[in-house]
Amino acid sequence: MAAMAATTTEEFFDALGRQGHEPLMSRGNGTIRVELTDGKKSERWFVKVSRGDVEVARTGRGEADCVVRGTRELFDRLVSGRTNPVVALLRGDLWFEGDYNLAILFQRLFPDPPRSRKKTAS
Amino acid sequence: MSDDLVKILDGNTFVVSDQAGDIEASRDDPTGLFSYDTRFISTWVLTINGERLNPLSVDDLQYFETRFFLVPGTGTVYIDAKLSVIRRREVGMGFHEELTILNHSDKPVRLTVRLDAGSDFADLFEVKDDLRKKGKYSTEIKGRELRLRYQREEFRRQTTVSASQRARIDSKGMTFTCRIEPHGEWTTDLDVVPVVAALEDVAQARAARRISMQRNLERWLAQAPRVECDWEPLRRIYQRSLVDLAALRFSPPIAGGRSLPAAGLPWFMTMFGRDSIFTSLQALPFVPELAATTLLALGDWQGSRVDDFRDEDPGRILHEMRYGEMTAFEERPHSPYYGCADATPLYIVLLDEYERWTGDRKLVRDLEIEARAALNWIDEYADLRGDGYVWYKRRNEKTGLENQCWKDSWDSISYRDGRLPGFPRATCELQGYAYDAKLRGARLARSVWKDPDLADRLEKDAADLKRRFNRDFWVADDEYFALALDPDGNQVDALGSNNGHLLWSGIVDKSKAKAVARHLMGSKLFSGWGVRTLAEGEARYNPIGYHVGTVWPFDNSFVAWGLRRYGFKEEAARIALGILEAADFFDGRLPEAFGGSERSQTKYPVQYPTACSPQAWSTGAPLLFLRTMLGIEPHGDHLAVDPALPRRIGHLELLDIPGRWGRIDAFGRGRVNAGGRSSRR
Repeated sequence: MAAMAATTTEEFFDALGRQGHEPLMSRGNGTIRVELTDGKKSERWFVKVSRGDVEVARTGRGEADCVVRGTRELFDRLVSGRTNPVVALLRGDLWFEGDYNLAILFQRLFPDPPRSRKKTAS
Repeated sequence: MSDDLVKILDGNTFVVSDQAGDIEASRDDPTGLFSYDTRFISTWVLTINGERLNPLSVDDLQYFETRFFLVPGTGTVYIDAKLSVIRRREVGMGFHEELTILNHSDKPVRLTVRLDAGSDFADLFEVKDDLRKKGKYSTEIKGRELRLRYQREEFRRQTTVSASQRARIDSKGMTFTCRIEPHGEWTTDLDVVPVVAALEDVAQARAARRISMQRNLERWLAQAPRVECDWEPLRRIYQRSLVDLAALRFSPPIAGGRSLPAAGLPWFMTMFGRDSIFTSLQALPFVPELAATTLLALGDWQGSRVDDFRDEDPGRILHEMRYGEMTAFEERPHSPYYGCADATPLYIVLLDEYERWTGDRKLVRDLEIEARAALNWIDEYADLRGDGYVWYKRRNEKTGLENQCWKDSWDSISYRDGRLPGFPRATCELQGYAYDAKLRGARLARSVWKDPDLADRLEKDAADLKRRFNRDFWVADDEYFALALDPDGNQVDALGSNNGHLLWSGIVDKSKAKAVARHLMGSKLFSGWGVRTLAEGEARYNPIGYHVGTVWPFDNSFVAWGLRRYGFKEEAARIALGILEAADFFDGRLPEAFGGSERSQTKYPVQYPTACSPQAWSTGAPLLFLRTMLGIEPHGDHLAVDPALPRRIGHLELLDIPGRWGRIDAFGRGRVNAGGRSSRR
C-alpha cells in the first residue's frame, strides 16, 4: 500500500521488508538495486520481488534487473512524499536503469505528498 | 497548423518542416524536431552559395519518411536550373537526412553548402502557450559533431548534429565546400540525435529493438484484416486508417517495446488515458494487441497516491503524461496528470471487451489488482456527493482540468439557456460508463477472478445505478437524458450527443431508447454528416464550437455502436455512411472534428480550424463503423455477424478477423436488413 508512514529511507525499507507481500508489485519479478549516495558515502538496498512477495536486504548477489540511483537526500524526500518520483526522473535527479517496468511498479510504493487529501463535495 | 507543412513521425518523435524541408520556428509555431515533448531543432535551413532553395515537389513516401526535390533560387522561374537538390529525410531516433546535389551542366561547379542548425529546446506547452525559458543554452564542437545544449539545474537536453562529409562547424551550423563534376553528384548524410539523459537507456533499448520501419509497417498492414467492398472510398479510408494508426503508435518508456496509440499529431503524441482506451476499443477487431499494451501501460501508471496537484487518487487511470521541462519543474501537473473521470470506468470496459475478443484470460488475471482498484475508485473516490454517481471537481485549481469528461473545453457543459453549472458535475455518459464497468467487472470477477461475491455486489450496484439514473437524468418533457447533474443534483438540461454514449453503455431503459434514438437522428442533432456534439437550438450551440456544435467522428462511431446495441441498425448505418462520406472529402483521413452546419447548406464538411490530424480516435472511427455495419459481435468462441449496410454499399467483406476463434471472415450484402454470414478458416 502506498501510504506507508515512512520518513526516512531506513523506515521505508524496514516497513517494506516486514510487509513481505506487496500487491502493487504483483506483476513484478526480479531484483531492484537501489544505490544512494551521500557525499562520498554510498549505500545499497536490494529488493527482490517475486509475484508480489518482497524481500529486502542490504547486500545482494548477482546482477540486478533494475537499478534505481539517486542521492540519499532525494530518496528520503521520495519515501516521505515530499518529491514526486516522476518529476525527479524527468529532472535528472533520479535514474532508472534496466527493467523500467519494475521501476515503475516500485515507484507506486512511495506515499502521498503531505497535505493532499481525499476530496468530498463542498 | 497550416496544411502545407510536411510532417513525419515515429512514436513521440516528429519533424514538421516547410515544403523545402527547412525549419525556421518562431516561439509559438509548431515546426521543428520534437521528441519527448521537447523541441530539439528549431532552425534547420539549407542554402547553396547563400541562396535558399525552392521546392519542386515533395514525396511523402511513408509516415516516417519524405523526400524533397528542390532547386536553388527563391524566384518562381527555375526552368534553367543547372542544379537540383534532393533531401531524403527519415525520422527515427531524431532524424536522418541524405542530402544530394546534382550538377546537370557539362561544366564542373564549386559550391558552398550551408546548413544552419539551432534549437530553442522549447517544451511543447511553451510552444502551445508562448512561454519563456528559464535555463541556459550552450554549444560545443567536438570532432565532427555540433552539440546544442540546454540546462536548468540537473535537467539537461542536448541535440547532436553530425555529417558524413567534412565540414567547417561553428556554433550555428556547418558549411561544406564541394566540387561537383559535370553531370556528377555530391552527397552527405546528416544525423540529428536528441539526447534526454534520464531516458537515454530506454531510447537505446528501443533503437536496438527496432527493425526496419518499412518492414514493421508492412507486417502491421499484412496482419490486419482485409476489406472488400463495392464502394471504393471505403477501401481507401480503411487503408488510410491502418497506416495512420501505425504512425500514431507510441512506445512509452514503460511498455517493453510494445506500442499503444498516442492521441494525435502534433500536440498529443503522448499517452492519454481516454484517447488510448477509445482508440483501442475501436481497433479491437483489427489489431487487438493495441488494447493489450494500453491496458498494461495504463495499469502500470494507475494512480497509487492521493495527490491534489496531479488530481491523483488510488485506482484512478491517468489522463495525460508529459516529459518536457514544464512537467519536470511542476509548472504543469502531467507527471502524469490524472484529472479525468471517464478513463477509469472505461479501463474496465476495455479489459472486458478485450477478453471477449481475444480470450486472453492471462492478462485479465495479471491486471486483477489494477482492475479491482479501478472499480473501487468509482465508488470510493468519484462519488463526491455520496449519492452513487460519478462526479468530478478538480483539486488542482491552477493548472488542472475543469471538465474531466471527453468534452473538456470550458463551455461544453451547459443548461439549455446557456448558463454553466458549478462543480462538482456529474455528466451523464460517466454514469453510463460506470454502469457498464460494473457489469463487465462482474463478468470478469465471476469467470476469471473467481470472486462471485464481488460479482453479485457489482451487479446489484449496477442495477441500482440504472434505476436511479433513468429517474434522475431523464428530461421527461422532451424525452432525452440531461447532459449532467449540477452540484445541487438538478438537471443540466441541454441536449447533446452524450445520449448516444448512454445507448452504448446499456444504461438506458428499453422503454426510453426509441425516444433517444429519435433525438439522435432528428434535425437538431443530426447534421446529415453526423451527430452534433450539442443540439441546434441550445443557447450555446455553435456549428464551429469545439464541443458545442461540431461533429466528432470518434463520438459518432460510439453513437452508432450504441444505436446498434438497442437494435437501431438502420440509424447506425446512416451515421456510418455520413461520416465515411465526410472522410472521403478529407482524402480518407478524418479530422478530430468538423463543422456542424446542415449538410444541405455546405455540401462538403468544413474542417474545424485547429483540429489535430491525424488523430487517433478519428483514425479509429472507420474501424468501429466497419464493426457496426457488419454487426460483428463475439459470442463465446464464435463471432456473430448481423450486417446492416447503408445505401451506397452493396457488399462488404471483412476478411481474416483475428480473435479467440483464430481468423474468421464476415460478409454483408445489400441494403439494411439483408442477410449476412461468417465463415471460419
